[in-house]
Amino acid sequence: MKGKEAIFDLRDVSKVYCMKGVETHALRGVDLKVSRGEYAAIVGPSGSGKSTQGKFFLEGRDVSEMDDNELARVRREKVGFIFQSYNLVPGLTAVENVALPMRFAGFGRGEAQRRAVELLKKVGLGERLDHKPSEMSGGEEQRVAVARSLVNDPDVIMGDEPTGNLDSRTGVEIMELIEDLHKKTGKTVIIVTHDLKLAKRAPRQIRMLDGKVASS
Amino acid sequence: MLDIALRELSSHKMRTALTAVGIFIAITAIVSLGSISAGVSELVTSSTSAIGSDTIFVMKAFDMSQMSGPPSSGSMTVTDLTSDELETIRSIAGVKRAVPVISRQMGGFTEVDGIDMDEVDIFGAKDIEFKEGNWPDNGNREAALGYVAANMFGVAVGDYISLNEKEVEVVGIFEEGSGAYDLVVLIPYDAADDIYEAGGGATQVMVEPQDVSAVDDIKDTIEEELDGVDAMTMKDALTMMQDMTLTLNVMTYGIGFVASLVAAIGIIITMYTSVLERRRQIGIMKATGALGRAIMKQVMEEALILSVASSVLGVVTSLFMVEIINEVLLGGTRLAVVTPWLAAGAVGYGVMLTLLAALYPSWVAVKVDPIRAIREG
Repeated sequence: MKGKEAIFDLRDVSKVYCMKGVETHALRGVDLKVSRGEYAAIVGPSGSGKSTQGKFFLEGRDVSEMDDNELARVRREKVGFIFQSYNLVPGLTAVENVALPMRFAGFGRGEAQRRAVELLKKVGLGERLDHKPSEMSGGEEQRVAVARSLVNDPDVIMGDEPTGNLDSRTGVEIMELIEDLHKKTGKTVIIVTHDLKLAKRAPRQIRMLDGKVASS
Repeated sequence: MLDIALRELSSHKMRTALTAVGIFIAITAIVSLGSISAGVSELVTSSTSAIGSDTIFVMKAFDMSQMSGPPSSGSMTVTDLTSDELETIRSIAGVKRAVPVISRQMGGFTEVDGIDMDEVDIFGAKDIEFKEGNWPDNGNREAALGYVAANMFGVAVGDYISLNEKEVEVVGIFEEGSGAYDLVVLIPYDAADDIYEAGGGATQVMVEPQDVSAVDDIKDTIEEELDGVDAMTMKDALTMMQDMTLTLNVMTYGIGFVASLVAAIGIIITMYTSVLERRRQIGIMKATGALGRAIMKQVMEEALILSVASSVLGVVTSLFMVEIINEVLLGGTRLAVVTPWLAAGAVGYGVMLTLLAALYPSWVAVKVDPIRAIREG
């Protein structure tokens, strides 16, 4: 890993978030590097919130110096997110859901939908193109989410408990799908999970404890 | 991305429909009520332009408040000028001719006008086209009817109508669309004098000066010579008509404006609710790379679709409403009209109002924090 270009570079990052007046220290002075093309699993609690201290570099750029629009652009073009609860837009079909981030990036309906269909076929949903989320199983919904994360050809696939809502067999299927993408495209994959068994699938495990990196 | 906005609207049909109803009602109210204003304005313009600009109207002074009240059927009592007063007017220097007119109100904006048939040109009636028949002859109990008046009586040429319980033969019916003459029953002056026992007097006297420049002098002289008499130049008449039209406009558009404010508040409430309900979805869109702009655009596009559709529907509905207003409220006249300007203006106003009302909800949508929205659901 050393000598390779770092796609993520966190230096002494702390994150505190307040909920109902209770301060939670999600991160306390974390240093972490993830290289391009790496497959890593982060095990432990994940935090969220506003007040971030320290430096977070994405491809050498300080994230804290980006404005909202730049952040949105980064989320759109550099990182593909897969969430625990799929987070598809309920009113839209599989194709429209996958095409949406591309539409936001300014592509036309036709082009975005063509690419969406192609990606949905790749994740094995060629038969479910025009189904809405409510008409699909959890596994199918997560496959749509995987296809969506790829639509803008990002450098990084970020999975936040991507199998958390799935039964173990379907979960393994989704992980195999993501790992297959990693092998074929060389994209950086970061999976956040509390499931050790799942984390062990990755060549590198980053263990978090009390807001600090315990081992990586 | 109008297609996405359209999908969003159609996936919440009830909410969309309720929002649309608010806009729809406001636009229907504006166009339906506005059509009366538009029609009256047109009528005023057409009837005043037909009469010579140097004509002076003379009538007994009356309370202006009677004019702005509803046209109650025939109950508006205007005192006639006497035959002596008529002679006084005729004797004033510079008067070329003074034509007496006996006018009596009937229901539904219609009125009977008695005028010397050789002098109808001063009435601006010379160029009226006849649908059938011809002018009545002086000395006979004959009448020429406007299109609406004929409809109201349900008569054709050769039929008789009853005026002040006296039979009058219909000898002519004007072509439809003759402006104010649609509403008139025109009879010879002497017949009117006889029927209404006016004693050679006149409801109004139309005075034509020998010289246009003498109009104001003659007007002043008439008011000095005769007590309790109003003389009005065409310019005064126009001003008065314009004042009346303005009052009517303020009333009708005022109601429409209030209705539209209520609609705007309705839009703000429903769209705000819709944004709150979709917090999670908006969060997803942001997390997948939608800029604040794109979120704002989406909400505004929904408002645009909603407002265009319901405003157009409102205009179409008011076309039917105007038919009902004309038939039921205005006694079969074609007074209320939806002009192209009114229709286009109402749609433009509806769209603008909705977009303004949607600004706050869309700003709320822009401010959604994607991480919190997704975590908290």
